[in-house]
Amino acid sequence: MSAKRTEAASRRRGLTLTDVLVTVVVSLVLGVVYHLWASVSSLAGLLFIQSDELVYGMWFAASTLAFLLIRKPGVALIAEIAAAHLEIAFGSAYGIQLLLYSVLQGLAAELVFAAFRYRNTSAVAAGLAGVAAAAGSLLADIYYGYVAEYATWLILFKYSLRAVSSFVIAGYLMYGLAKLLERAGVTQSLRPVERKEYDALDG
Amino acid sequence: MRSFFVPTRINWLHRANPAVKLPLFILLFGVTVLTHRIDASFYLACVFLALLFLASGYPLWKTALLASGFALAFASASLTMILFGKGSEVWWSLGPISISKESFYRGLHLGFRSIAFGCQGLLFVLTTSSTGLFYALMQRLKLSPKYAYSFMASLRLMPMALDELRIRRDALSVRGAGKGASASLLRLPELYALPLLAQSIRRAQRTAVAMEVKRFDAGRRRTYYYSSPITRNDGAAVLVLSGAAGAALLLAHLLPLFALGDMRMNP
Amino acid sequence: MRSTVEANVPVPVLKDAVKPGQPADKEPAETQDRIGPSREEAETAEYAAEVRNLRMKFPGTPDLLFRDLSLNIRRGEKVLLLGPSGCGKSTLLQVLGGVIPQVTEVPLKAERLHVPDSAGLVFQDPDTQFCMPYADEELAFVLENLAVPAEDMRPRIGQALREVGLDLPDPHVPIGSLSQGMKQRLALASVLLLEPDVLLLDEPSALLDPEGRRTIWDAVRRVAGERTVIIVEHRIEEVLDWVDRVVLFRDDGSILADGQAAEVFARCRARMREYGIWHPEAWSEAYGEPAGEAALAQPAAYRAGGVCEPEEAAAPAAGPARERSAAAPARPAADSAAARPLLRLENFRVLRGGKSVCAVRSAAVLPGDLIALTGPNGAGKSSLLLGLMGLLAHEGSCEYAGSRPSGRRAMREAAAKHAAFVFQNPEFQFVTNRVLDEVAFTLRSEAASALNASQSGAFARWFPRRRLRPDAGEEALIATQASACLARFGLGGYAERHPYLLSLGQKRRLSVASAIVSDKPLVLLDEPTFGQDARNAFAILDLCERLRASGHAVLMITHEMEIAERLATQVWKIEDGALISAESTGRSHTAGLRLSKEEPL
Repeated sequence: MSAKRTEAASRRRGLTLTDVLVTVVVSLVLGVVYHLWASVSSLAGLLFIQSDELVYGMWFAASTLAFLLIRKPGVALIAEIAAAHLEIAFGSAYGIQLLLYSVLQGLAAELVFAAFRYRNTSAVAAGLAGVAAAAGSLLADIYYGYVAEYATWLILFKYSLRAVSSFVIAGYLMYGLAKLLERAGVTQSLRPVERKEYDALDG
Repeated sequence: MRSFFVPTRINWLHRANPAVKLPLFILLFGVTVLTHRIDASFYLACVFLALLFLASGYPLWKTALLASGFALAFASASLTMILFGKGSEVWWSLGPISISKESFYRGLHLGFRSIAFGCQGLLFVLTTSSTGLFYALMQRLKLSPKYAYSFMASLRLMPMALDELRIRRDALSVRGAGKGASASLLRLPELYALPLLAQSIRRAQRTAVAMEVKRFDAGRRRTYYYSSPITRNDGAAVLVLSGAAGAALLLAHLLPLFALGDMRMNP
Repeated sequence: MRSTVEANVPVPVLKDAVKPGQPADKEPAETQDRIGPSREEAETAEYAAEVRNLRMKFPGTPDLLFRDLSLNIRRGEKVLLLGPSGCGKSTLLQVLGGVIPQVTEVPLKAERLHVPDSAGLVFQDPDTQFCMPYADEELAFVLENLAVPAEDMRPRIGQALREVGLDLPDPHVPIGSLSQGMKQRLALASVLLLEPDVLLLDEPSALLDPEGRRTIWDAVRRVAGERTVIIVEHRIEEVLDWVDRVVLFRDDGSILADGQAAEVFARCRARMREYGIWHPEAWSEAYGEPAGEAALAQPAAYRAGGVCEPEEAAAPAAGPARERSAAAPARPAADSAAARPLLRLENFRVLRGGKSVCAVRSAAVLPGDLIALTGPNGAGKSSLLLGLMGLLAHEGSCEYAGSRPSGRRAMREAAAKHAAFVFQNPEFQFVTNRVLDEVAFTLRSEAASALNASQSGAFARWFPRRRLRPDAGEEALIATQASACLARFGLGGYAERHPYLLSLGQKRRLSVASAIVSDKPLVLLDEPTFGQDARNAFAILDLCERLRASGHAVLMITHEMEIAERLATQVWKIEDGALISAESTGRSHTAGLRLSKEEPL
């Protein structure tokens, strides 16, 4: 293999500009879909106490989807931060705390993917990353919202709903979406090229 | 849409270096998060609300419009705690709802805090341009240009994605999709996200290629169109903002309205 | 091995172009070492770019994109690369521009690959070449990359803008506020700052309106100077008299012809037509010389001249394009319903956020009309269509086939019954993940709404017995109908494919197919030929013309004046949010079929 190719390949192993930009844009699109989701969320909120937690997993979807598409270390975290950045830049009333939430949630999701050595791109792995992100948000909630001072049944109820929703939405739903994008031919160019494709040149 | 976020008056806070402002505001966030007394959170909310209106550089109506979001933030932070929080001195209860003195004041405290957070965040956003922020982060805090330019580029792509969302909604309506049986709640993200993602991912790839064709290389030395100097304005920002926080805490000590202790049950 | 030239097309080969038949006998390992610029070789001096026996393949596709392609570009040469869509010419340009494989990984190998050290590449899409919000910041981004000192930036930015004729009083303007044509000139200015020896242009005018096309090519000519310029373009009117050399590619990525522009053009004209290249005579070749004006004005007289063929004769091989008087059964609507408009607008205003964005005092659409809706960008053309579909609010009167819906909801229901809408970007219109399902979806929802309508009465409405769906028999019928429809649109072989994987022209046809399969009398299209190659554009226009001649009405937004002149029965001009004129072209709504001479796809 030539020096040129090795250099290019090693550059591609880390996050390239394309990887980062695609990650940011995936967050952006999901952020735009969030806005629709927010109305779903407020409708769901009318069902029963804390029922809006049923759709909470959508807030962690960017990090799992970005990872399922790009499959490299760091994208889950960047996706969360990018989502927060856009919310803040467009005047969210929640401000800087979004940034800190996003770091905690992104790191938590990142940890799960790292535990699988970034090789597992199954729905279950994505779901677990979603649950981890939910755990990250719990950590933030304890400081930020004193949720530890809720009645105990409520804590359990609220966060188990959130965990389930994260598993389903950030895991299965995003896995399905990633598969669809694959079928639609969008992800092909995001993946590293396999050796056999080079070999086929000699055919 | 972007033109909404252009200040009409530029003041010392706009001119302060974002690389100073960002750590400063994160510090303010830390102080607010570590505030567990309702008097302090009340005064923090008041002081920063006042500062937001005085120093944002936006017309009153615009600031008020943006600040109206705080009402929701207040409610979402306080209501659950008021209705379902733990507490021994129960005022009223019905089924799972139990309003106690502790949970009531704790809820108010959370509401005040969320207003303080919101004011601080909005004050930062309204006085800091994204371009200025990322140029400062690159030059002063050694953020890799790879991330800085990706984040800046995403702001340009945002209005396009919003446009496409509208087009997609129209198209689904014309085709009669997205209503009735075909639109189970779980298909909704797919119906909207798939075309938007496909467009945006391709757009991002093309943009990245165009940037690299223009010899963007995150590893190489670069110069900067906008310099990011540290000036007296930064001193002013540090003094005024920390002064504001100090004043709020002092007021809470001197003129307590509630005179209650730590809001957590087991501090 | 370089493919040999087709026997029936004598090919002018430049005297110093690469000799055919050089064997590719080097070892792969060694050839890969050669990838990238290799300046040390002396012979290079003459060539700005050189590829020898290039092989390339897109991952996941079975076939090679190029098999041993060789091409030399001399310094200072102005070269136009032409070929059918998908032949790989844009990819080749990216290889020559150093994008592949340095930035984008695509497997390739070549015996020799010499690409310019400093190339400036302008892409097709005006919206994906910028990363900064303001024009000056975007240009500064390039200078930053080159580590130009900050104090030198402003003068250079001003100079680059002047060079491309973009005289902005203050360069600090939001890029989003520029027209598409101005954005392309900004893109050109930004690559000029790289001081490139070679300019590479990848269909820079494909997504521009005529005005934008003119200005970008003016700018290119102005800045080209001594530079080598390599152009990929599908629309060659503006560049043909300027380039020194044309390289024409085949479908399979091999070179069919290479030589002087006029020569190649003269010899390979038929091929260019087949490849859908927009050349200056494309329209007159497809439709004959514009108007024996009498024929346009008086189709009846033309018919009397005796050109009369059955509807099904779909192979109009040679001779001038014909007005074919359709036989009576094909056109039941023409005479009986002619007096009754499909759509009538009186004091109609489309509202966006409460403000009128398009006002129409009075206009009517008859069955058999083909209306070209023209006007500058942002004048309100798209808003009018959205208003007609009930997707935007309106006031005033709009009658669909005599009934006048009031309110947006009623409007939407009336529109759903009477009108089909084809969006500009087909992908936004797709709702399924299979080509066949796209068409079947329309039929299925049509069937379902017919069933629902049949179940009338308050009781039934409040207490439906079951969810109404087409039963198995109907499903089979729908599948058959959908397949037939796909076949008619030249998509028969793609039924199982994901719609996103179709080519640009196929996507467009699928979007039209799925809209009109339910046979609505009025068809609204938003720039259906925009960005399409000639072949696909004529295919779409033929479809529109068939619809028109069978008693439908077609209302299309277009910037293409040829459509207005050759096919339209009315031209509606919209400017500054109002319909300023709705003129009859002289072509009657009862005129016979006028198809392009292109072979059906």
